[in-house]
Amino acid sequence: MNILEVSNLTKKFGGLTANSNISMAVKQGSITAVIGPNGAGKTTFFNMITGVYQPTEGEILLEGKSIVGLKPDQVAKRGISRTFQNIRLFGEMTVIENVLVGMHTHLRGNLLGIFLNLPNTRKEESEAEVEAYRLLEYFNLEPFINEKASSLSYGNQRKLEIARALATKPKLLLLDEPAAGMNPRETRELTEVIQRMGKEFNVTVILIEHDMKLVMEISEHIVVLDHGEKIAEGNPDEIRSNPKVIEAYLGKAALELEKR
Amino acid sequence: MFQEMLQTLPQVIIDGLTLGSVYAVVALGYTMVYGILQLINFAHGEIFMTGAYIGTAVLLIILGMGFGSSIPSLLLLIIALVITALCTGLLGMGIERVAYRPVRRAPRLVALITAVGVSFILQDVVRIVAEILTGNYIVTGPSLFSKQITIPVSSFLSVFNDASLKVSFFIVLICAIGMMISLDFFVNKTKWGTAIRAVSMDRETAALMSINVNKVIAITFFIGSSLGGATGVLFAIQYGTIDPYIGFILGIKAFIAAVMGGIGNIRGAMFGGFLLGLIEMFASANLSLLTGGIFGAEYKDVFAFAILILVLLFKPEGLLGKAATEKV
Amino acid sequence: MKEKLSMLLQKKSVQITLFTLFIIVTSSALYFSQKSVVSFLLLLSSLLILYYMNLKVVTKWLIALGLLFILIPFASSGGPAFHSYMEVATMVGIYIAMALGLNIVVGMAGLLDLGFVAFFAVGAYSYSIFATSQASNFMPFGEYPLSGSTFWGFLIIGGIMAAIAGVLIGVPVLRVKGDYLAIVTLAFGEIIRIIFNNLDRPINFTNGAMGIASITPPNLFGLEIIYPNQYYFIVLFILLFTIFAVNRLEHSKIGRAWKAVRENEIAAQAMGIPLVKTKLLAFALGASFSGIMGVVFAAKQQFIDPTSFTLLESFTILVMVVLGGMGSVPGAILGAALVTILNLQVLTELTNWLNQLSLQGVITIPDALTPAKLQRFIFGVLLVIFAIYRTKGLIPAKNKKFDVEQIKERAQKKAAISNIGSNDTDRVQA
Repeated sequence: MNILEVSNLTKKFGGLTANSNISMAVKQGSITAVIGPNGAGKTTFFNMITGVYQPTEGEILLEGKSIVGLKPDQVAKRGISRTFQNIRLFGEMTVIENVLVGMHTHLRGNLLGIFLNLPNTRKEESEAEVEAYRLLEYFNLEPFINEKASSLSYGNQRKLEIARALATKPKLLLLDEPAAGMNPRETRELTEVIQRMGKEFNVTVILIEHDMKLVMEISEHIVVLDHGEKIAEGNPDEIRSNPKVIEAYLGKAALELEKR
Repeated sequence: MFQEMLQTLPQVIIDGLTLGSVYAVVALGYTMVYGILQLINFAHGEIFMTGAYIGTAVLLIILGMGFGSSIPSLLLLIIALVITALCTGLLGMGIERVAYRPVRRAPRLVALITAVGVSFILQDVVRIVAEILTGNYIVTGPSLFSKQITIPVSSFLSVFNDASLKVSFFIVLICAIGMMISLDFFVNKTKWGTAIRAVSMDRETAALMSINVNKVIAITFFIGSSLGGATGVLFAIQYGTIDPYIGFILGIKAFIAAVMGGIGNIRGAMFGGFLLGLIEMFASANLSLLTGGIFGAEYKDVFAFAILILVLLFKPEGLLGKAATEKV
Repeated sequence: MKEKLSMLLQKKSVQITLFTLFIIVTSSALYFSQKSVVSFLLLLSSLLILYYMNLKVVTKWLIALGLLFILIPFASSGGPAFHSYMEVATMVGIYIAMALGLNIVVGMAGLLDLGFVAFFAVGAYSYSIFATSQASNFMPFGEYPLSGSTFWGFLIIGGIMAAIAGVLIGVPVLRVKGDYLAIVTLAFGEIIRIIFNNLDRPINFTNGAMGIASITPPNLFGLEIIYPNQYYFIVLFILLFTIFAVNRLEHSKIGRAWKAVRENEIAAQAMGIPLVKTKLLAFALGASFSGIMGVVFAAKQQFIDPTSFTLLESFTILVMVVLGGMGSVPGAILGAALVTILNLQVLTELTNWLNQLSLQGVITIPDALTPAKLQRFIFGVLLVIFAIYRTKGLIPAKNKKFDVEQIKERAQKKAAISNIGSNDTDRVQA
């Protein structure tokens, strides 16, 4: 079953067409990678799915229902969460608070409950803490619970972003360059975590990534964008041997070189 | 009712243009600084006010030296404008160096707070100095160009009333337009103007292109502040009496003008300034008429504010501005 | 030697002894030598010392309540300056509540509101209009002035009116980018004043620049409240409620949402936090604190006019928040106390002292430099210095420390329970 279906998605900024006529489908429970050279429109694509940008044309269906026109917070409530290419943590807040913010929509406490410290609100809050702890444990971040998010190492910040995104209990998780700036060891660890996470949290993953080793290793399906258009799609083997992809990445010359 | 409004129209236009040209030049200062630092320079209104005081002081000193009356008024004005522009330009640069540069990388809120603080300091320093020197912080400047002229509009078209104006009206208008044209030329045609535009588009990249960002920002402050200060002199000449608090509400309105025109957009600020001046004068002449006497001219500031809200609601990028989106 | 001393000071028993001594000395000094402003201020500062002491939070609160409810009013009641002390303390309380309100908006949600006094004015006018005959100018029914016992209800009405004003101004502005908010609220603060100044016609709502006089004093079970020491207790009660509410909010999902919006709007939104709604809530709640205190202020002064609600007031409250530490509740309290005392006591005392000196011919200070007139300058300098050199203020905001061990324990317990549960189902299936 397809959890996400995108059809003819187009985004224009003035005269610039950032995404043109992109269609794709994402299977429930799968890991899909969106790759392409810099400036290919990958992040714009993410931004449209998460409601940051409104598409100029096209349709986005989450579990068969359109999410076009929804604001980012409404999209999040429907079950799509994400991380950001340029890390966007709540720097002055602690690590656990960052995760607790992710749980915002699942906490029911209202003003009255908060003011009067009603048992329901208190119980909910303490359960949220436990849940946040477990998430952090999953990413080996539990030693830093009371640290400011901005004081974490780069790799840990990336992981915290994923943990925070998972805290919203998403059906679909978009990771924007999760391995950027990580060292090989961290990348390996991350690769493994993403693979496990899909099953254990019952979440479908779409990721943008430049690390081809990671992409080829974990994705079941790969979509290639270039100049805002989808130029190829398929499983890792198909993509690896697709001449159009090689051309987009390495230029025409490389292709000719290979032919010879 | 329409006829009555029409009758006052010539006077409204003259007053509106006078006020509008003041708004326009002050708005330029806001828009330049905002364009380059994304900071609302609250102190800019105060720089305008300081300029009014410096200019008045220069005029009073020269005239007080006895031979002042032998100098033609126009020359006197030019001397006052140049000295004031230099002083307030340096003042603006100084403020940037001391108060804004240290917080350039801090959160926006912090820079805004320093800006508010600077504006308070300027208000009080000017008050203290004026009070010590003259005994009263409200100062009346010498009357220059104060000859009244009546334009017999009614003799051309009988639907209009006659309009009256002071000679200083022309001075204010010509000076303001002159300043705007030279600024436009400077920003669009010169090397430093190009650098300013480059820095306001992308500070990091501009720095990589070997542009000295700090210097460019300092120059921007110098120009914006000297224009603001010079406008203060024009204001003092046109309206006679000044106090340390004129910069505040005028600053807000000039900022509204900048927002109306599209903040960061220099031509937009000029356009917004004139538009706001005209609208405000129209409102103060006709509000009471339009609302059947319920709201009088004292609501003209409320009116200007309502315009700001409307612009922000329906065209937040301003009338001449381009929509900007934050990169995610 | 120095180390020994600090070791000694760390000891609980030593701290308590010294603190008790300090309180006894200052309060008896205050009681016996009236007009000793210094001992009054020192006695108030004992609350600050208490804050830094090594005691349990509950103990600290109990001691603080004892000081506030019993010792401070009693110690200052020794002579004729009683009312003026209580007046100052009441004003401090009013400003603390407002600073706490603004702290929500500026400190927690990161929205710069430069017209905060507008909400204070809304609260003040909503009581004043109905507690004088002013309301009979436009109300088709009812008899005005309302009796003093409605004051208590108006505390809530004033808060709600201010919250509504906050929402009205917030709805159009909070949609656009944050920078404009500063300028719009700044303008709004002025606009409200202009409106109150001119709303004496066509229908006389506010009596314009003349202000509203002889506002009915509050009435508690037949007791008319007119003295500063009575207001002191009213303000104290409201203030305690406010502090309690702010503390609850700060560590709730709402407080976290505010901070998240402040830290990164786009990420906050991606976490499902609705931006406008969250900001509006901060705006409305902050405003309501101010509105409630507006009602108290109007009743206490028994006269209000638009000059009480100038821009300078808005900035004063901002200075309190910045000085104390943006986002920090104890900071806002300290900031408000310091600035109010500076305004009401220190600057006026200094002015009197300088005047005396110049009368005696010792020194002459030009009139322009009278300390009482230097408010703007002092505030400006404070804002700039704190923004540049001590952005976090006197008592920086602290994040809540979570008890890791305790959460871990609970997590393990929960895991154990769910394991048992799953074993059970296994067995049933088997």
